Amino acid sequence: MPLEFSKFLKKIGVQVVVGRWSFQVEAMDRGKFSDEFIERSAVIYLTEEFGKANGFKEGDVVRVSSGNKSVNLKIMFTDVAPENGAFMPNSIYTSYLSDFSNFKRFNATLEPTDDDVTKPEEIMQKVLSKI
Amino acid sequence: MPITPMEVYKLLPKTNCKKCGEQTCMAFAFKVINREKQIEECSPLFEEKKYANQKEKLLGLLEPLKEATETGLIVDEERCTGCANCIVVCPVHASEDPYGSGSGYGPKIEDPIYRLEDGVLKIINVKKCRRYGKNRILCVACRENCPSDAISFLEG
Amino acid sequence: MHVCTGCSCLCDDIDLKIENGRISRAYNACRRGAGIFLNISSSRAKPTIDGQQVDLERALQKAQEIIQDSENLAIYGLDTTTLEAQRLAIELAEKKEAFIDDNSTFCLGDFVEMILKKEIPSTTLEEVKNNAYVLFYWGTDPYHSLSRHLSKFTYYPRGGKRQRGYEEDRFLVVIDIRKTHTAKLAKKNARFLKAENDADIIRGFIDALEGRSPKIFQKEIPRILKEMEKGGFNVIFGGLGLKYGLGGDYALLKEMIERMNERSEVYFMPAGCHPNMRGFNELLFEKTGHVNRYSFREKRSSDDFAFHRLLKNDSADTALIIGSDPLNSLPLEYAGKLSEINTIVIDPRETFTGRVAKVTIPSALSGVESGGTMIGADGSRVELNPVFEAEINDEYILKKLLEVV
Ligand code: SF4
Ligand code: SF4
Ligand code: SF4
Ligand code: SF4
Repeated sequence: MPLEFSKFLKKIGVQVVVGRWSFQVEAMDRGKFSDEFIERSAVIYLTEEFGKANGFKEGDVVRVSSGNKSVNLKIMFTDVAPENGAFMPNSIYTSYLSDFSNFKRFNATLEPTDDDVTKPEEIMQKVLSKI
Repeated sequence: MPITPMEVYKLLPKTNCKKCGEQTCMAFAFKVINREKQIEECSPLFEEKKYANQKEKLLGLLEPLKEATETGLIVDEERCTGCANCIVVCPVHASEDPYGSGSGYGPKIEDPIYRLEDGVLKIINVKKCRRYGKNRILCVACRENCPSDAISFLEG
Repeated sequence: MHVCTGCSCLCDDIDLKIENGRISRAYNACRRGAGIFLNISSSRAKPTIDGQQVDLERALQKAQEIIQDSENLAIYGLDTTTLEAQRLAIELAEKKEAFIDDNSTFCLGDFVEMILKKEIPSTTLEEVKNNAYVLFYWGTDPYHSLSRHLSKFTYYPRGGKRQRGYEEDRFLVVIDIRKTHTAKLAKKNARFLKAENDADIIRGFIDALEGRSPKIFQKEIPRILKEMEKGGFNVIFGGLGLKYGLGGDYALLKEMIERMNERSEVYFMPAGCHPNMRGFNELLFEKTGHVNRYSFREKRSSDDFAFHRLLKNDSADTALIIGSDPLNSLPLEYAGKLSEINTIVIDPRETFTGRVAKVTIPSALSGVESGGTMIGADGSRVELNPVFEAEINDEYILKKLLEVV
């Protein structure tokens, strides 16, 4: 197996701001168990500048961790993301990563991964198995 | 990407023969972009074989002009959230539909320029747009008030 | 004309084209709103018990049994249903001496409470359209959460005294931690203030009002205040960013609004997205003097009665969830506990919470398949005009549950 360059990229820390995203809300009405929901929810938005400066391309999957919880999300670029941080639409993904004290803004780390994007069912399993 | 008059000019015969009714090829190029002249009005380009190559390139270059509405207006529905800023801000709607679109509601006239259909912006009657026709002015109000750049004009 | 229940704007100018009994086109609604009308048949919930599909009758009966046997019932959600259904839910809570709470506890309930208690002056969107000059959007991105807010009520429409359009007759101020889509609109005759700390900006305004130079935005804040004096009628729309930015301490905010009002009229309005959150807050307030987090057994409201706290502290043995999906919207550590207790979900669509619930009961989409009344963000009542009339709606189901208590 060829060595993958991405493996050598280091982890970066960012503050994630959570908010509404019309396109994601629309996907909720189409169905929370639809592919479209995952496509529009399992996403972390960065500015193109910040993303590229850290070696990320649009469409890369990254492991986003907060505390001892992590999910794999797809990177998308938008000019409305915080300059040196990230934006996520609120959904089961942010509910999993955040807590009440940091519900709308939380700190997370991003690192490259070769795994697929996490599905909502996988999050539910993780949570339920702990209870 | 807006098409520039220079790009069009470069592919014209550049003889300033005036057959198109313009004084110069450059003037003609401007009018083609603004849709006041049709490229076919440059008869040498279509009649003389030596320009065949240039003609093909020009027609290709001008292709998007055909797809866009006659004012060069393009809406990217994928980016549109249906906020209706563009509809309400439009000065034509304000004067012709003051109690509908001009006041923030859905249109109360039959043929507004724009309206929201299935959650996104649709062009209904572009003829009313101020960028259209003889006395046109370079209005950009709708584009300027779309936060996600869903509206663009071919001529920039 | 139909009413869209996609957000607290409750737009009442939605036109629909119906073909062969189906909605084939939606006019005038935004992306979010149109999605509700056009996707009515997607991801609809089914009656289930322990994840197995059953008859509706069986599911209803099971829910009745659970409610009957419950000792510590918690009722939650309710912000997407009608006043009529909310009233029944409150009645059920009262009879069962239950806890009752809605999304407003982590959304904008605090703001609504200050308004209902008359601690801060508020107004209606109609007044805003006709009179307002300076418009603050503070910690909210209406482009995504209340898509038609600026075009239908605030910045763009002409109305009353404001006939000359936004460039002359309105002044936009957007305050947010990032340059949102709404913030991008702050161009001419407008300001965008990037808020690292909301309290610091409030202090800046108070300083300037007291004649001191503000520590931040030295140029912008005095200019905005001057515009406010010029306009005479101004409004601040506060969103979740402001609420969480202030960490629950609103003394400064109230002081700022009070001081501002010494110079010009300034109103405060919540910019929250749930269509009938204010309705629930008002109903509970009328009955108990509190807007949310209420225990009918203890006859008081407390942080401990917030739905997520009840789950965290194992205070409820049964949860009745109406039109909400805590697994999607509340920190999952707590929401996950719904799988351990007797959870009943009433919802028109499939939800994550439904997947872990004991019982799910499919309901009707308010505004599309069932009528009633809602209260928009500004306190005005809106009568829904549904396209279809489904027999089984939230009201019907709640009445069934009330039969056994
Ligand atoms: S007809 Fe063609 S070649 Fe002649 S002046 Fe016009 S553009 Fe130039
Ligand atoms: S360019 Fe001006 S006139 Fe034409 S649609 Fe846009 S706002 Fe209206
Ligand atoms: S302003 Fe932009 S996003 Fe809003 S309706 Fe018009 S095109 Fe769509
Ligand atoms: S702004 Fe809100 S109420 Fe109006 S159409 Fe959009 S979702 Fe519906």
